[in-house]
Amino acid sequence: MGYVEELINRLKELTEEKYYQCLQCGTCGGSCTYGMYSPFTPRRIILAIRMGLIDEVLKSNAHWLCTSCQLCSSRCPSRIPITDGIIPALRELTLLEGNPPEELSMALMNIMRYGNPFKESPRRRADWTKELDFEVPVMMKKKKADVLFIPECFGAYHRRCKEATKALAKIMKLLEVDFAILGHEERCTGDHARLCGEFGLFEDLIEKNMKVFKKYEFNKIVTHDAHAFNALKNYYPAFGLNKPVLHHTQFLHENLEGLKEMFNKLDYTVVYHDSCYVGRKNGIYDEPREVIKSIPGIKFVEFKRNRENALCCGAGGGGIWLDSVIREFVKERPAEDRVKEAKLVGADVIVTGCILDIPMFEDALKVTGLEGEIIVKDIAELVLEAIEGGE
Amino acid sequence: MKICALIRVVPDLVEGIEIEETEIIPFRFIPNERDEHAVEEALIFKKKCNGTVDIIGIVDEETRDDEAIEEALAMAFAKGADKLKKIVLARKTSNRMEIAKAIVDELKGYDVIMVGIQSIDSFAGYLGGILAVLLGARYIGGVVSVDFRDGDVIVEKEFGGGVFGEFKVKTPAVLGIVSAENPISFVPLTKLRQAMRSMEVEEIEVDVPEIGGVEVARFYEPEKPEIVMLEGDVEEIADKLIEVFKALSIV
Repeated sequence: MGYVEELINRLKELTEEKYYQCLQCGTCGGSCTYGMYSPFTPRRIILAIRMGLIDEVLKSNAHWLCTSCQLCSSRCPSRIPITDGIIPALRELTLLEGNPPEELSMALMNIMRYGNPFKESPRRRADWTKELDFEVPVMMKKKKADVLFIPECFGAYHRRCKEATKALAKIMKLLEVDFAILGHEERCTGDHARLCGEFGLFEDLIEKNMKVFKKYEFNKIVTHDAHAFNALKNYYPAFGLNKPVLHHTQFLHENLEGLKEMFNKLDYTVVYHDSCYVGRKNGIYDEPREVIKSIPGIKFVEFKRNRENALCCGAGGGGIWLDSVIREFVKERPAEDRVKEAKLVGADVIVTGCILDIPMFEDALKVTGLEGEIIVKDIAELVLEAIEGGE
Repeated sequence: MKICALIRVVPDLVEGIEIEETEIIPFRFIPNERDEHAVEEALIFKKKCNGTVDIIGIVDEETRDDEAIEEALAMAFAKGADKLKKIVLARKTSNRMEIAKAIVDELKGYDVIMVGIQSIDSFAGYLGGILAVLLGARYIGGVVSVDFRDGDVIVEKEFGGGVFGEFKVKTPAVLGIVSAENPISFVPLTKLRQAMRSMEVEEIEVDVPEIGGVEVARFYEPEKPEIVMLEGDVEEIADKLIEVFKALSIV
């Protein structure tokens, strides 16, 4: 089968043939985070596919520029699944050819071998719990719990992101939630692999995680990783997951009455960043705002681009591993643009709901010289600070 | 041009051994990284010279069915290797001379043999050199790319300090590979699984001669150097540093 036919067949499957409906209106290109830098905006990609010029797109590396932010897909008048269909199909072609960007290739290989992108030992996945002064229950011993807490890879291993994981675990303990983690039995949920076109790996991870889920009794899943949330909520049910999946912004909101009683005053001007896979993809906008606004003393401000129009941090869809590719096209990364916007609206704290936002924004603060003026906190960290600190 | 690349499996240092109250969790094996580069370079060279590539796994009874060697062979098959073999050593040994003598007969007839220059249990990189001597072939190590020009094998060798050399090598030759000229190419999981299902691996059992001469006296971790944090203001730290330098006879 020829190259073009192979892609066309894959596109038909992934987009339910909707890509035929493209009007060439250009809304996608105008919305794209990297639209002004990319040689092939989504509109031009679709045009190139129609004209049989797929090689030109693949050679340009434009398909690796997509941050999977869903802005194009959410605004497309023809509802074409560009982010979940067209881009991963193109990426899959590059993977099958064996030459994706090296950093991404390493991350995917590590996920395949170790169940995490960092080449960390799967057995050390629960090591973050040793940094707490209480024992975090593990399903292997506990067997059943009301809440299954999924820290996911960044939340379990990344030095900075672990702080948010610990904060959420502490909050659960303070709320006396009956929760447990999977420990070393957990592995990557695979949303980035899917968005990068590694569908085989994604399904393999789902099957392995589902096998573990089925061993234990729990009533719901809570995760603070926006991509894990997306995968568990929208893709795992097709493989048999039949439990509610909550993002931690929803979990905190559900427990807001109990939390309010513990809150102290915090003297911050806070701006909330609507992460793509919390907001645009899964429609969670009000819950995090209500949680933040309920903390006494906080002055809440909005980004100019907020809710459905929020700017991506640039980490999604493998973007967090594609710095060298992106740097070839882009002078200023979206996270740098975003922290400047936070400064513009007068915020001294950016509160996030996606674990990847934290390293992206903290790095951007250093690059833009705003370190020290603005700090980044996961919403769980802010809530814990309101409980433990404040006035 | 008949090419082959050797691949060994080594303990995965990411995992390590864990000793728990009731059980010892052993390490697992992974393909030796330098050998993965040798395989990659062999497959690149195959395209350049329009040759064939056999990938030969060197295993023993413990590792012959390990998923690491299966994965490494399947990866190579998915990338275009022509034949896959496992040479099974009848006796486990880390003595390179013994390994070379055990496998040399199976390597006769190849024009170019590629082998990774290091593994975690051997930094000296002498398996390739011994094989070359036993085969009566040429050996060149430190190779970072292999080319085929006007019927000649041209290799690029890396020296220290960023210096490279280009050598014309007569065949048969054994090449010690540091790294392939391109990053290790990626094989998606579906393609890897297809390869695992369809690949055929020839297994060859060989005796390992007792040569001895090198015995492991002991393995040990070197003593960790003492770390001292110098504290105080700039002048105090400077004075303390001078004392340290004097003690080391630097000043």
